[in-house]
Amino acid sequence: MPLAALPLPLELYQGYDTVSVFVGYSETDISVPVSKITTRFEKFEGVHEGKRIIALFVPKDKENEVVKLLQDEPSYSELEVPTLEGSAREKLGEIGASKAELGNKLEGLKKELEELKKQYTDFVLASDEYLTMETQKAEAPLRFATSESSFIIDGWVPSDRYEDLASTLGSISPRIYVGKLPEAKHEDMPIALDNPTPAKPFELLIETFATPKYGEVDPSALLFITFPLFYALMLGDVGYGIIIAAIALFIMSRFRTGGLHALSYILLYSAVLSIVFGVIYGEFFGVPVFNEFVNGEHEEGLLGIDGPVIGPLHTPVSRFANVESLLLLSLIIGLVHVYLGLIIGFRNVAAEHDLKHAFFAKGSWMLILTGGLLLIARVLPSLRAGAAIAPDPVIGTGAILFVLGIGILVKGEGGIAVLEIPTLLSNVLSYSRILAIGLSSAGIALAVNTLVKDLFFSSGNIVLIAAGVVVLFIGHLINLLLGIIGPGLHSLRLQYVEFFTKFYEGGGTKYSPFGFMRKYTEE
Amino acid sequence: MAMDPFAAGMLAVGAGLAVGLAGLGAGLGEQAIGAAAVGAMAEDEKFFGKGLLMTVIPESIAIFGLVVALILLFLFNK
Repeated sequence: MPLAALPLPLELYQGYDTVSVFVGYSETDISVPVSKITTRFEKFEGVHEGKRIIALFVPKDKENEVVKLLQDEPSYSELEVPTLEGSAREKLGEIGASKAELGNKLEGLKKELEELKKQYTDFVLASDEYLTMETQKAEAPLRFATSESSFIIDGWVPSDRYEDLASTLGSISPRIYVGKLPEAKHEDMPIALDNPTPAKPFELLIETFATPKYGEVDPSALLFITFPLFYALMLGDVGYGIIIAAIALFIMSRFRTGGLHALSYILLYSAVLSIVFGVIYGEFFGVPVFNEFVNGEHEEGLLGIDGPVIGPLHTPVSRFANVESLLLLSLIIGLVHVYLGLIIGFRNVAAEHDLKHAFFAKGSWMLILTGGLLLIARVLPSLRAGAAIAPDPVIGTGAILFVLGIGILVKGEGGIAVLEIPTLLSNVLSYSRILAIGLSSAGIALAVNTLVKDLFFSSGNIVLIAAGVVVLFIGHLINLLLGIIGPGLHSLRLQYVEFFTKFYEGGGTKYSPFGFMRKYTEE
Repeated sequence: MAMDPFAAGMLAVGAGLAVGLAGLGAGLGEQAIGAAAVGAMAEDEKFFGKGLLMTVIPESIAIFGLVVALILLFLFNK
């Protein structure tokens, strides 16, 4: 407080009838110009933080002239004087003390607030939920048709729950009449998905895309198989699998309901399957688990044993050594998946319209795919060997099916549909990402491991080894995050773009039953 | 038959170019679609599924590049 630098008690700055007071900082000595205005003035000086501070007392009748003077003085800046009594120094101490006291008080109150929050959060949330439910119950009659002595409720209930509902209502009072209305138009019907418990979480992925329309196949159960399969084929590492499974279990324990719970289930399935494929690929954080033969050389694995033999499959199947067969496997999976989509599409169109429509819309695509496949399977090896393409029955059949399919497609969907034929090829080739994402994930892990082993651990220097551990940790952490996001998104994309476009239309309204999801209260 | 080292090197360069240029093309295509999809999602959350689908469509181009590279490296590198 700058006023403490002046030797005056605070009450002397105010309350005069004939004297005006000016207090402020000033670099120059203003006594000289002021003395030209009046000789009857008094000036006090002090220094605060290296700046000169002045208090000027002048007669009231000279006030205006002094104000003008001070306004012209560039170094002068005015200070506000508080209406207090006593010396400024003492006041400063007093205020400081009371400030500290108030601060303590504030801390105490904050703590008290925190405790109150802890004590009553659950109660307030539960009360809010309870009251919301009560409000909804109270407002419900507004949505129904009521007369003086009766009311009508109409709504949707899944067919297999109808008997349940009827008997429950019947047991409340014999004077309740329950009946079915004639079936409404399909477009108006809300859609409730019904899947066995293990496949239930995958409804989330369906709802994220679009709610199916009435009469469509709900692909949740298929996603239950294919989504974790694609994910695991891409990730395929025992170490990453274990960590992701642990993360999934943790999320599951924290969120008992809702989207995150479903998501953690999906992640858990995928992670467990990744561990299985990790054994097949023989990878643990990118380190080979089992003994391998690489380029004819025997390489000792982490466990020092040979991999298990699963049927005709001799593990480990190293991803780097088997790129060609894994690429082929990916494309075969893609072919099967696309076929499956077309078959479901055939069924959907047949159910909505008739077999003829289904044949034109989806059957044509199946013919094109089959024909194209026969052609490629026959022509590609000849091309590769550089041999001439010899016509044989397979090529002939393929060509006929291909052309026939195009013909039916053009007749059914119009000439513009021809433009879509290349997408069939790109759809199947798109499944090569199963190999590609997997290779990049395994590649990053391998790069991190090799870098740390050759650059840091082999040096024998304790500091370098410690740095190596840090690099190892960060590298695998990044790859782990990529390992959750990459395979997850790409597996989902294969479902959404390559699979769903073959049959899925969506656009239904979700069935949202009358009632309330309890979160904080129990019945 | 061992491959001429120059040809083998050119094969690797070609494979790299296939992946790199295809990725560049896919990225160029995806940027506009992605921005539009995010805009649409800001209007209506339900657009997420369709938006994601539209956004990843050009990604096939990158995969094509990768397939070409793999074919070059593993099928012709004999």
